[in-house]
Amino acid sequence: MRVELLAPAGNLEKAKIALLYGADAVYVGGLSFSLRARASNFSLEMLEELVVFAHSLNKKVHVTTNIVVHDEDISGLDEYLLELERIQVDAIICSSLAIIERAKLLTNLEIHLSTQFSVTNSSLANYFFNEGIKRVVPARELSLEEIKIMKQNSLADLEIFIHGGMCVSYSGRCTLSNYMVGRDANRGGCAHSCRWLYDLYDKDKLISENHDFQMSSKDLEIVEYLPKLLDIGVASLKIEGRMKSIHYIATVVLAYRMLIDDYYNSELKELSFYKNEIQKAENRLTSFGFMEGDTTIQQQLYNYRSEMPTQEFIGIVKAYDPIKKLAEIEQRNYFERGDAIEVVSPTKTFTITKVDVLYDEEMKEISVARHPLQKLYINMNFEVKPYDLIRRVK
Amino acid sequence: MRFVARLKTTEEAKKLNQLGIDVFCLDTEFSAKKISLFNLEEIKELTKTYPNQISLNINKIIHETDLVRLKEFLYNLKTLNISGIVIADLTVFVLAKELDLEHLIIYQPGTMNTDTFSETYFFQRKIKGITLSREITLDEIKKFGNTKLELSLIGHGYLDMFYSKRKLITNYLKHKELSGLDLQNNYDLTLREEIRENDNYPIFEDCFGTHIFRSKKIISYEELKDLDLLIKDFFIERIFLTDEEFYQTIQLYKNQISLEDFLKKYKDFDSGFYYKRTEKVKGDLDES
Repeated sequence: MRVELLAPAGNLEKAKIALLYGADAVYVGGLSFSLRARASNFSLEMLEELVVFAHSLNKKVHVTTNIVVHDEDISGLDEYLLELERIQVDAIICSSLAIIERAKLLTNLEIHLSTQFSVTNSSLANYFFNEGIKRVVPARELSLEEIKIMKQNSLADLEIFIHGGMCVSYSGRCTLSNYMVGRDANRGGCAHSCRWLYDLYDKDKLISENHDFQMSSKDLEIVEYLPKLLDIGVASLKIEGRMKSIHYIATVVLAYRMLIDDYYNSELKELSFYKNEIQKAENRLTSFGFMEGDTTIQQQLYNYRSEMPTQEFIGIVKAYDPIKKLAEIEQRNYFERGDAIEVVSPTKTFTITKVDVLYDEEMKEISVARHPLQKLYINMNFEVKPYDLIRRVK
Repeated sequence: MRFVARLKTTEEAKKLNQLGIDVFCLDTEFSAKKISLFNLEEIKELTKTYPNQISLNINKIIHETDLVRLKEFLYNLKTLNISGIVIADLTVFVLAKELDLEHLIIYQPGTMNTDTFSETYFFQRKIKGITLSREITLDEIKKFGNTKLELSLIGHGYLDMFYSKRKLITNYLKHKELSGLDLQNNYDLTLREEIRENDNYPIFEDCFGTHIFRSKKIISYEELKDLDLLIKDFFIERIFLTDEEFYQTIQLYKNQISLEDFLKKYKDFDSGFYYKRTEKVKGDLDES
């Protein structure tokens, strides 16, 4: 069985991009019962449109219903689950036993157990499998060796996080946000208090300096471990980041898509190739999490600074006129005539060219593109397609 | 209502019993945030002296490598007169079930028992009880209690709010190239957030990771009458308390000292989330 590449999406455009750029499935949140409340979550109509789109490509949509419910949240749950079944979503991702049991009782929805439950061993995975859970997303605290043993002993399919941000605590076991700002971390309100700056004291003696006690972790990126993970035979490889941009999603998905396909086709390139592709959009420091066992300072984020992606996303192709050799694009970031650009497509082609001629919507020649979402035309001597992305080469 | 608290030493049991503790919770090799450690022999001896008054604390997150040893440990409990096994990870329930010990399990995950359905779910699975999550209000608590499942609550003391597998203090000290700070059983460490200078959050690192606690101790004296109708086991958490404060806390709940006298002597209490709902999403709250 080939592994599934599972990507996040905060809105319909991101979901379509993720699927076109190589994800086998996307996971998205609805308007109810989902964590990541600040992501632009999907209405039922949007979900239905996404499901039709994904299924037309023979791909899947998983919907997160992963809050830890209180009694006041239950209202509307039954109707919502029935609607998700009606529009044929492929799975729901849950952590609350109440949601799981209602879904089992009322629907035939496939149920996946969220990493919020922090399953760390095969015994618990098998318990849930026997309770009707097809797939488990284990805690991100597992080493590669633990994943291997868990896979050998688990009846449930395993979905493993391979890339993106991660909780510093065991997921679902943190209420810093609840206590410090009154926002419920397990119901979509996480304030990321673990990423704030602290001082450490031993009794009254200050140990740290200038609030430099930090708990933040680097983001996960396990390109080096992916071949071994594929050998282990997990069911799904999951990218985190429903709040991320379309450029980030397209870039990261495509890099892992190439890596997975190349591995299966015995055409694996140097791993630095895939890592460099990711770096074109990555703006956070990354490390390999718990893959080698307990984390060290290498996985922690001290003296945090943003990383600059090696390329800058400047626009998305909307149409192409092969006679005039003009690409219609929607601007996303500032660029100028004369800039070197790279056009990346879902077909894994990367073409470097230059902005020789640039027109505005009224076909007036301009020298700079400075207005977000402006419709522009660029000369292209090769065919481009809708959803191709354009990056400025730095 | 039974009062439950952790025991520091075998010798302390008599004193706690006299003060009014009904069930002693013993830290084991599978306990996170330990204040002591009881081996199997010591557990056996205590169950002889205090039959059905001993519960065991198995609250670490259980990894694949723990499974065999944990099951052996649980097997050894089969012949003992223990009252309960307090767990944070349902894996312990799964293993206990294989040994027909599920009737001893008290599920205390901290965050997950927030809805009355949990009560139904676990009653059907024949465990002994669940400990309600700390983030629910008193009104929400009052909705529980429709089954024979034993409900419990951590009603007093410093409540933990964060459990990481990462050794965050060790890593920080390495990063800063600092030495000389002994982390072994160090209960004196606190965190202060950059803009919350008056709040000291106890932080504790053990071999299972890092634990951060609330800056204020929860106190439930005023709510005890309401809770008494629903709650079978009332846990008094003693981590970071001096023995004297802990003993007087028991006396408070047993009405041997007045609330007024108690609060004159001991500070930093609040009512947790009894009267405060948390926001589900980012609202208009001032984060500063």
